[in-house]
Amino acid sequence: MNSFNAFTAMMYRQLKRWWNARSRVIMTVLNPLIWMIFLGLGWGSIFSPQNIPSIPGVPNVPDVVSMMRTAIDNYFKQIFGGVGYVAFMITGVVVMTAFMGSFISGISVIWDKQFGFLKETLVAPAPRSIVILGRIVGDSIVTTIQSLVIVMLSIVLTNEVNFINIPLALGYIFIMSLGFTSLGTAISLKFSSMEGFQMVVNLITMPLVFMSGVFYPVTTMPDWMKWIAKFNPLTYSVHATRYWLANANVGFEYMNPLTDLAILTVFTIVMIIEAMNIFEKTTLED
Amino acid sequence: MPRLSNVIVVEDLVKKFKDVVAVNGISFSIKKEEVFALLGPNGAGKTTTIHIIATLLKPTKGSVLVAGYDVVKEADKVRKKIGIVFQDPSLDNQLTGYDNMYIHGKLYGLKGRELQEKIMKLLDLVELKEFAYKKVMYYSGGMRRRLEIARSLLHEPEILILDEPTIGLDPQSRARIWDYIKYLKKEFSMTILMTTHYMDEAEELADRIAIMDKGKILAMGTADQLKSMLGQDVVYITVNNLNNNNNDICNMFNFAKICKVLDGNRLELVVDNATKALPEIFHIAELKGLRIVEISYRRPTLNEVFLHLTGRELRDSLELQPIPPRRRVRFR
Repeated sequence: MNSFNAFTAMMYRQLKRWWNARSRVIMTVLNPLIWMIFLGLGWGSIFSPQNIPSIPGVPNVPDVVSMMRTAIDNYFKQIFGGVGYVAFMITGVVVMTAFMGSFISGISVIWDKQFGFLKETLVAPAPRSIVILGRIVGDSIVTTIQSLVIVMLSIVLTNEVNFINIPLALGYIFIMSLGFTSLGTAISLKFSSMEGFQMVVNLITMPLVFMSGVFYPVTTMPDWMKWIAKFNPLTYSVHATRYWLANANVGFEYMNPLTDLAILTVFTIVMIIEAMNIFEKTTLED
Repeated sequence: MPRLSNVIVVEDLVKKFKDVVAVNGISFSIKKEEVFALLGPNGAGKTTTIHIIATLLKPTKGSVLVAGYDVVKEADKVRKKIGIVFQDPSLDNQLTGYDNMYIHGKLYGLKGRELQEKIMKLLDLVELKEFAYKKVMYYSGGMRRRLEIARSLLHEPEILILDEPTIGLDPQSRARIWDYIKYLKKEFSMTILMTTHYMDEAEELADRIAIMDKGKILAMGTADQLKSMLGQDVVYITVNNLNNNNNDICNMFNFAKICKVLDGNRLELVVDNATKALPEIFHIAELKGLRIVEISYRRPTLNEVFLHLTGRELRDSLELQPIPPRRRVRFR
């Protein structure tokens, strides 16, 4: 009972902090929105050709042109799992938002170190594992809400998103967020400066995003990239989210919503245990 | 749980950080309902001692018992028994005063209406009720300190630990914090362990004082006991040519109860009556060819005691407005 109180206390704290910093809330949504609008709309029309240039020697018969257009259209649809590029990319950006948000949320641990609040949690009699869990869950709820906002905004850009499946997709996103928040928290427990943490974040997050299938399918990647993508947990949450939100099945042969769930769950549990262990051993000397 | 007269027992405590010895074999015990102060300059090892007692650091050697529990093996039980106000702020600036209290309460297992009522009562006690729903970032330094004191009392700890409770505060805020500490002592008979580098603070609030310097406790007792180490009056003489024969010079003033050579050509003489000793001192100096540059006498305060024990002055007190401690250059 006591432990549960400590859990809700920390969860409440993370949520309240986020809610109190409303300008930050807008910023976190703004960044993915820029990706969606400019990359989505910018590239989107390239993948659905409007004017087919005439080829010298081939008569410009309207039927041939429309056949070519359909063929090209189908080719890209097949690559993007049966939907247009905008729907393909937006469903990936939804996951990217949660991923970036959860990884970076670890930075609040460094803030707490610098502003002293970490001491308050270290000296509390509540089990440390519960304290850090409350924190991680609170931050993950925040990032999941941010993803929800992005899904809602995507309505303006595409009509291929399946809104009924949103809760399912958010479930996957939440599990993934727990994992990456734990990882971010574990890393920042080891760092005492923002700069160091920022560097690690930049070093890790962007490559992981590019090797997860957010912007292009994993299936068309070079082999070495495919190989890395298979070990990237983000790949599985992107696949599952896209599967539910856009009904597009773009991934390796063995991937389906169930294997995605299994892999993400294992990853998340390992990360949570790791974060708990590190926090358990934390003293003021770190 | 056995009723113990000694609430905190520290035995032969040593703490090393890499190559620095912060605490070097100290022992003391604090009785129930006692206010105990660790007095010493910055870097004396006070905060390290406090952090070990509060289970935030592990001792290198020695043992610490808090309310009968070992701080290493039974850290969870110790944590329940203590309320602590750290030297550096430990509030969440982005949350309101009420929320800071609320989260603390829940971390300590309080809940519901009882928690809400307690929060408001304590905020009332420290006169912050009207600011309860303001974010802490808009609080002044004194208000933050008061909020931290209120927060540390929320779970009704047996022992209150205050690490430099008035550091960096203006005189008015200090006086207010002193009033709260006295109130807690009087109304709730709280056991309080505090550290300070202000002599007047230790003298005003503490039942017993331990003078600490360079990781060691040099003397311990009530303020009166400490001062009586020096007797009635202390005469300080600065001479222009104090050569190395310390014994020689002290032999000249053999009427003094204590004679000690301090830093910077200074001599400390403890005498029964300074007004009678001064002419004598001048007379001897003239005979022996000593040139006195400066002479003064004081009734001993804790400052004189510290000077006696370490050969250095404990500069910080309210009268001598201190340089901010962070920028203070250590002697020698």
